[in-house]
Amino acid sequence: MKRLAQILRASAWLGWQVEANWAEPILFLVYAIAKPLATTLILYFMVRVVSHGSATAETFRYIFIGNTFFLYVTEVLIGISWTVFRDREDYETLKYIYVAPLRLLPYLLGRAFTRVATATVGVLVALLFGRLVLGLSIGVPGTNWALVAAAVVLGIVGVLWLGIILAGTSLVVARHSMNLNEGLSGLFFLLCGAIFPLDVLPRWARAISLALPFTYWLELLRRMLTGRGFAASLAAMNDGDLWRVIGLSTVVLCALAFLWFHTCERIARGRGLIDWKSNY
Amino acid sequence: MAPDPGMLDPGLRQKLGMNLAAVFARASVRVKASFRESSWVIGETVFPFLAMSAFVLVYRGLHAPREYEGFVVLGGAMIAYWNNVIWGMASQFFWEREQGQLQLYLITPVSRMSILIGMALGGIAMTTTRAVAILTGGILLYHVSFPLSRALPALGLFVLTLGAAYSLGMILSSLFLLWGREVWHTAAILQEPIYLLSGFYFPVSAMGLVVAVAGSILPVTLGLDGIRQVFYGPAAHGLLPLPWIPPIQIALTLFFLYIARRMLRYMENLGKHEGRLTVRGD
Repeated sequence: MKRLAQILRASAWLGWQVEANWAEPILFLVYAIAKPLATTLILYFMVRVVSHGSATAETFRYIFIGNTFFLYVTEVLIGISWTVFRDREDYETLKYIYVAPLRLLPYLLGRAFTRVATATVGVLVALLFGRLVLGLSIGVPGTNWALVAAAVVLGIVGVLWLGIILAGTSLVVARHSMNLNEGLSGLFFLLCGAIFPLDVLPRWARAISLALPFTYWLELLRRMLTGRGFAASLAAMNDGDLWRVIGLSTVVLCALAFLWFHTCERIARGRGLIDWKSNY
Repeated sequence: MAPDPGMLDPGLRQKLGMNLAAVFARASVRVKASFRESSWVIGETVFPFLAMSAFVLVYRGLHAPREYEGFVVLGGAMIAYWNNVIWGMASQFFWEREQGQLQLYLITPVSRMSILIGMALGGIAMTTTRAVAILTGGILLYHVSFPLSRALPALGLFVLTLGAAYSLGMILSSLFLLWGREVWHTAAILQEPIYLLSGFYFPVSAMGLVVAVAGSILPVTLGLDGIRQVFYGPAAHGLLPLPWIPPIQIALTLFFLYIARRMLRYMENLGKHEGRLTVRGD
């Protein structure tokens, strides 16, 4: 465990240097919050332009919460797999990491810490922006903030393991496949109902949506922060059911990630792909 | 034996021929590369469509008039080009430097502008597949309508918009030439905030006159605003009167091309003085 902690700490520090040491902290912060704020404002204007400023504050609050917390999925999911391409092809350091006395999987988890940290800053700033500038009420009198934090952490753990699955895939595919990883994030954005009620999806798409853990995660966060649910399709489930689905799916993702990553790692080594350069 | 003077100073015709060949060569590499990887084709067509669909469904969830879904589909198609300007034009010299090819471009006897124009034309051809997929998907899946009778003026405005947008990309490529990791972050900051400022998903006039006019420095803002006006008339909530937009786009194209040429020369010289044109792994 001590060794694992050392690897996580060292790779998190490395990740921070790679991501952040090109700029002053304030400038880096501006870059980190630009995307979530811009997306929030896009949705704000989309809602405003069709509602002419009336009776949609509640709808926007649901959209806002879903969009804000989905930032973790975008940042962390893409970030982990991107680390493989960057280290393998741009910095050409993956082979050195591979021959060092550490396992690739904890190294990548450590590298993801920076993404989790920047996403957290983005989420917090977006929530503050929503509260102070857009006048949204975040939380209700009965909101248990410790439980909200626990739900966020559980969701991040699930995203991390899904990111490891994508990182494993990235080990055996060319860098162009980064598009697929980014696309997967777009697919989740669509199917999880991050910014619209699930009920507008066609029936077949809703069935896929209900198989995704992030759908339940966003619904749980919305219930905790607004006191009411958003998706009619999930109305029959109580909060305990949502917790169970998220917890179970995280365990399944973790097991799958271990198996898949080690399989991909073995294939990559067998085919000599650890130092592959495919950027043409 | 003295060298043939013609070899040292090629005539205008030969120069033109070499530059046109450079444009064609750079464009064809990009077009061929875009179809080489099947994952790339899927990643560039299907997934961006899915991401755009989320925004169509926001309007559907809000029971907005159907033309708003058309706004999003048009915006989604334009985003494809804007992203190509950012990642395929602006960042391209940075990639070339990272791969050690930039110096090869610099020692060739052709204008850097020819290489950039080749990249732009290849990028436009490559991105058009993605934009067509988005438009086709919008029409077939979301039943968005674009009156066919207005397609020709819309296409004309679209071509003018691309000219201005890719000229802006040439300016950015000279800026990005000397940067290191900030390229990633700058390219990223030119995505969602620009989607907002340019009104890719809603009429730009919704942000108020001052912000919308400020956003109009980006050719995609006015271009998209104009194309929406062509298709949807007053329902597009246009920012500027439609007849104003084509001359503005032409003026922007000429202005950006002039600045790009100056900037490219300046940044190249700066890079040589600071020894940064061959720095890799930054």
